[in-house]
Amino acid sequence: MLKRTMSENDIIDPAPSHVSATGKTVIGKQVAIEGGIEGSEDLVIEGTVRGSIELEKFHLTVGPKGKVEAEIRAGNVTVSGQLKGNIKALDRVDITKDADFSGEIKAKRISVEDGAYLKAVIEVERDSKKKMEPVGKPNNSVASAPGKEPIPLVSEGDKGK
Amino acid sequence: MATFTTFAERPKEHPDSDATQVYYTSNVLRLFAEYLERRKDTQVLDIGPVCGENVVFLSRRVKRLYVCDMFLRMDRDRRKGLPPSRAWRHLDYPPQSFDGILLWELADRLEEREARRLAEICYTLLKPGGKVVVFVPGESEVQQVVNAFVIGDGFRLYLRPQPHLDLPLRKRQNRNVLGMMAPLKSVKSFIYRNGLREFLFQHD
Repeated sequence: MLKRTMSENDIIDPAPSHVSATGKTVIGKQVAIEGGIEGSEDLVIEGTVRGSIELEKFHLTVGPKGKVEAEIRAGNVTVSGQLKGNIKALDRVDITKDADFSGEIKAKRISVEDGAYLKAVIEVERDSKKKMEPVGKPNNSVASAPGKEPIPLVSEGDKGK
Repeated sequence: MATFTTFAERPKEHPDSDATQVYYTSNVLRLFAEYLERRKDTQVLDIGPVCGENVVFLSRRVKRLYVCDMFLRMDRDRRKGLPPSRAWRHLDYPPQSFDGILLWELADRLEEREARRLAEICYTLLKPGGKVVVFVPGESEVQQVVNAFVIGDGFRLYLRPQPHLDLPLRKRQNRNVLGMMAPLKSVKSFIYRNGLREFLFQHD
């Protein structure tokens, strides 16, 4: 269950946030919260939140109508609405095409859909066991047709190189 | 009609297998990746169009990847009737922040004055020896729309149209591009059979 600290600026809507049968809390689009939110279940934000959000290993979703300005720590984060702040995720962050995100992202994995409005700094935790594709001569055997190699252009900067 | 240097079926498992089936192997991207491997604690700026595959590719090769989709920002500004010069407020990073900047084809979506301004900004934002990747679209009609150059395996670049972006293309000769990008110095350039050109520029 989620717990939060209250602030004087809180706006409590007559239609309150609720816990769904599937074990997640939804902050509805008519709800605005200012302060810290801590929880141990999934959280969906369709309303407005300013402050901090800590969900340990759980999933935070900022829905298409959500407006969030917060420092976020969660297991996974999906952004489809507006989010300004920093995300630290244990596993993955998904930014959908409807997202408007500015801030920093630290995660193990990230996905971004075309069209997302991003201004971000991204740090992906590197798995030391996984080997990155080595840089080498490209293998053109599939993509290139014989005799159709690119033609290097000699420019001013190439001279003497 | 001109075609890409490399034309082939896109792999069925590719996330964008139903899009325009055009891709080619990029020499400049390979050189840029080699350069990143030689640097430590690299910081790279990708100015978009934002695409997930590129974020994954780049974020695995650098310490910090900065993404600021200037295509989307300029498109929105244009629709609001704002002058192109307003867009540069988004590139508010400290001087000498980056080891590399990926401009893709943005310069050719700008009037010359703004393209020169972009080159100056890149020069300011780059660390000494830092590199800039610039693409110049060719004559093919596939390049009349803004494309994301989506990075695939083996430094292949897939062209994925971005129909939500409406930025006019300015066709330029190589000498115009080189002059426009001063004070950056061109260190490598390639031309492909459909007219697409790739440039690697460097900060002194």
